[in-house]
Amino acid sequence: MKQNVVIIGGGIAGLEAASQLLTLGYSPIIVEKSERLGGHVASWHKLFPDMKPASEVVAELVRKSADANIFLETEVESANLLRGSYIVNLSNGVTVRTGAVLITTGFELFDAHRKEEYGYGIYDQVMTNSDLEGWFNGNPDKRIDGQDMNRIGFVHCVGSRDVKAGNSQCSKVCCVTAVKQATELKERFTQAEIYCFYMDLRLFGKKYEDFYINAQRDYGIHFIRGRVSEVSENIDGRLIVKAEDTLSGKPVKVTMDLLVLMSGMLCGKDCRRTASAFRLETDSDGFFKSRDNITGITESGRPGVFYAGACTGTKTVPETISEARSAALAIHNYLKDA
Amino acid sequence: MTERIASGFHPFVIPFLLGMAFVLGWCLVAGVRVIFQLSREDRLRFFKSFLNPGILLKDIRDIFLDCLLHVKLWKRNPLLGYMHSSIAFGWFMLIVLGHLEVMFFLPDRLSTPYYPIFFNYFVAEGEQTIGGKLFLFLMDFFLLVVLSGIVLAMVKRVHSRFFGMRRTTRLSFTDSIGLYSLWAIFPLRLLAEGFTAHISGGSFLTIPLNWVARAFLGNELNMLPTWWAYSIALCIFMCVLPFSRYMHIPAEMLLIPMRNAGLKVRYARKGLAKVMVYSCPGCGVCIDACPMSVKKANTRDTTVYLNRQIRRGNEKRIEEISDKCLLCGKCSTVCQIGIDAPMIRIAQRSHRKYGLDQDYSDLSLDRIPKPEPGGKVLYFAGCMTQLTPRISKSMESIFRKAGIDYRFLDKDGGLCCGRPLMTAGRIEQAKQLIAKNTELILSSGCDTLVLSCPICWKIFRERYDLGGMRVVHHSVYLEELIENGLIRPSRVVETVAYHDPCELGRGTGIYEEPRRLISNVATLVEAGKHHEGSICCGGSIGSLSLGFSQREELTRNALKNLTVASPRSIATACPLCLATFSRYSDRPVQDLAELVDRSLE
Repeated sequence: MKQNVVIIGGGIAGLEAASQLLTLGYSPIIVEKSERLGGHVASWHKLFPDMKPASEVVAELVRKSADANIFLETEVESANLLRGSYIVNLSNGVTVRTGAVLITTGFELFDAHRKEEYGYGIYDQVMTNSDLEGWFNGNPDKRIDGQDMNRIGFVHCVGSRDVKAGNSQCSKVCCVTAVKQATELKERFTQAEIYCFYMDLRLFGKKYEDFYINAQRDYGIHFIRGRVSEVSENIDGRLIVKAEDTLSGKPVKVTMDLLVLMSGMLCGKDCRRTASAFRLETDSDGFFKSRDNITGITESGRPGVFYAGACTGTKTVPETISEARSAALAIHNYLKDA
Repeated sequence: MTERIASGFHPFVIPFLLGMAFVLGWCLVAGVRVIFQLSREDRLRFFKSFLNPGILLKDIRDIFLDCLLHVKLWKRNPLLGYMHSSIAFGWFMLIVLGHLEVMFFLPDRLSTPYYPIFFNYFVAEGEQTIGGKLFLFLMDFFLLVVLSGIVLAMVKRVHSRFFGMRRTTRLSFTDSIGLYSLWAIFPLRLLAEGFTAHISGGSFLTIPLNWVARAFLGNELNMLPTWWAYSIALCIFMCVLPFSRYMHIPAEMLLIPMRNAGLKVRYARKGLAKVMVYSCPGCGVCIDACPMSVKKANTRDTTVYLNRQIRRGNEKRIEEISDKCLLCGKCSTVCQIGIDAPMIRIAQRSHRKYGLDQDYSDLSLDRIPKPEPGGKVLYFAGCMTQLTPRISKSMESIFRKAGIDYRFLDKDGGLCCGRPLMTAGRIEQAKQLIAKNTELILSSGCDTLVLSCPICWKIFRERYDLGGMRVVHHSVYLEELIENGLIRPSRVVETVAYHDPCELGRGTGIYEEPRRLISNVATLVEAGKHHEGSICCGGSIGSLSLGFSQREELTRNALKNLTVASPRSIATACPLCLATFSRYSDRPVQDLAELVDRSLE
């Protein structure tokens, strides 16, 4: 009989790991709390740097992991370690005995309401990066539909690298996401002036820098180094954004039709439940703590519990995919010896 | 009573006389110096206050109630109150009765300063009279009162919790000497009078002591050494008094008339500030009150230690302690002496030389957009409210719903009210901003100025002169709108705990209007400590050096206090408290304006 492996989280890490474990001859069981697979990526529109549709990526992963047992709208209630294997009780009443558990719970977007000075939820014309992807995917949004789009602003690092927001780590992907979203918006609203307010740009990945140069050269996007200090609303509902241009050393004040906040990544609140069920440690950044942050990133301190993807820190899609494969291999090695 | 020693002198009184001369001389010189350090105007005011019978009566009453009976301490904790008043009032009565004894029995000796103190040594009881018995009884009685206070003081050193104090001050070297000599004075007096009681007569304490001593110690042998010891203990106490916390005894007697005369702190180290610093008895009540002392390391930065360091002239520590303080003012409200600690700290900050002195006097107002003319009410959000736009948005919505013709002064940029500069001790710069802002506000032509931020509100109230324009904080203004029927909020079933912002509550005394406002729209529940006892949110602009991470613990502690009654939400009336609490609160935090605006829908 095939050995079970419980995968908590049906995002891209969970799906990729499931497909690898199927190939290796295991029976993966995906436990997903929402009603669909694919996690955050499933609600995204296109992925940098080649603008591949996110739906294609998710569809491919779902297809490859179709033979796994998948429980949607299900969460882990409790787990007990019993003679080398875990007895995992799920919220749908199913109990699974498994030799290994893979945690792929991913991240949660920073709640932009908490940076009140940017006015999310207070002013009409403020949205987040995730709202914007929803609109790219065809969801109607009255902040954009039927509005004049003469000036659009992007605020980098909203709830990232921000001690006052309780989140000091870099969310890694927002810089390039802002570049991507700015160019996409520019394609739709060619007459609009688009401004990106950044602290510094961290464009570390393959082809990111080219992407950034293109945005400036071919799309004419303005990059302003300096944080937005405050946002207020005009009589006609447009936004007055005040920031400091630290390169010219002058304060700037721009009236905007739309402001997009680049919300950062946090370890989700639900992860705390998972962490307590398996008695896992969290690291100082709030994410799960790996056995070793260099050589053992997919291993936890507990026997038979493994990690993949953004549950141990902010990651890009390709990083998550390769980590899922690496975790599948680590599980295989662990179960083979057990 | 008859005189026993013909010369009326014995060498053992010399230590006492030396100590007395020293302490009186010291206090006289110090008092005169301090009075001459006052500004001319203040000094005149101070002297004139004695001519006003109302103030004079208040001086006498305050000195009696505060310095002798310690009425404020009784209210705080009866045991603590008894301990202090038994020692202070008991000792005072011993001195008064001593003088009365001399006056009645040996009127010739009234001018001999040591007679009332060492009376029993110099007299012999001839015949027993009712008057003599009564005096002896009263002397023993008050000695017992003082001794009971001393016993309590000893217990307090070990278990301050019995007296309602979690923490107490660590004594300095001179404080310890003062303390132990004070503890020694009264038992020694008891022994000395006990050993002498068969000659001088005594009462319920000294006579039995004399009998016991006669049985196995011998009275004659011990009499002189104990009188010597008593005199030496008094001498030591009086000699260390100016260098120890016991200086508060004479200093407070100067502070009370100065305060009643209405003087304000003008110099950091001179005049009134100096009297305040020396009036600090080092009781350490401010340690428990200080919001920073949730962290044990911060207890050394409380007001009692600031006063000590100012007395020592330790500039490095004075700067550290003054800069760290949140200026929440809670230590001042619990202080028995009424030391204005925030003012002392601001004065220390203003003492400092900065490398760069900004000048705002030539700031141009042309670049600041001005509201359209013609409004009645001017709304000034202030910079903190600009960072919490839900407050200004709610206020605008309420103005519209109430049909008020308002103008938003700093909708599109404005000037700082000056309070942050003031708290940093940069008083000149603050005044320059105040002048600019006054010009801007008066040009609007409105007759009422509504403010959302208590930080602005405090300085507007204290330092702005806007002619006939009314200045009001929105908590008061909104309550008036409801009372006048301009808005009719509907009640919601929700329990709300109100947080008194420092600048609004302790700063300007507004406690009840916000509570009535909340009661109009929801169910008000009180925090664990509230009104004057409210705990600073930790976000205060008052502190110049407290780091962000150090503040987290203060905020969490304040939140714990706010949620003891498990309210569904927390309401406050300050944008800074709102932003600070929102960061860590497990339940919604809202401003009064939001609460009211939502209830109008």
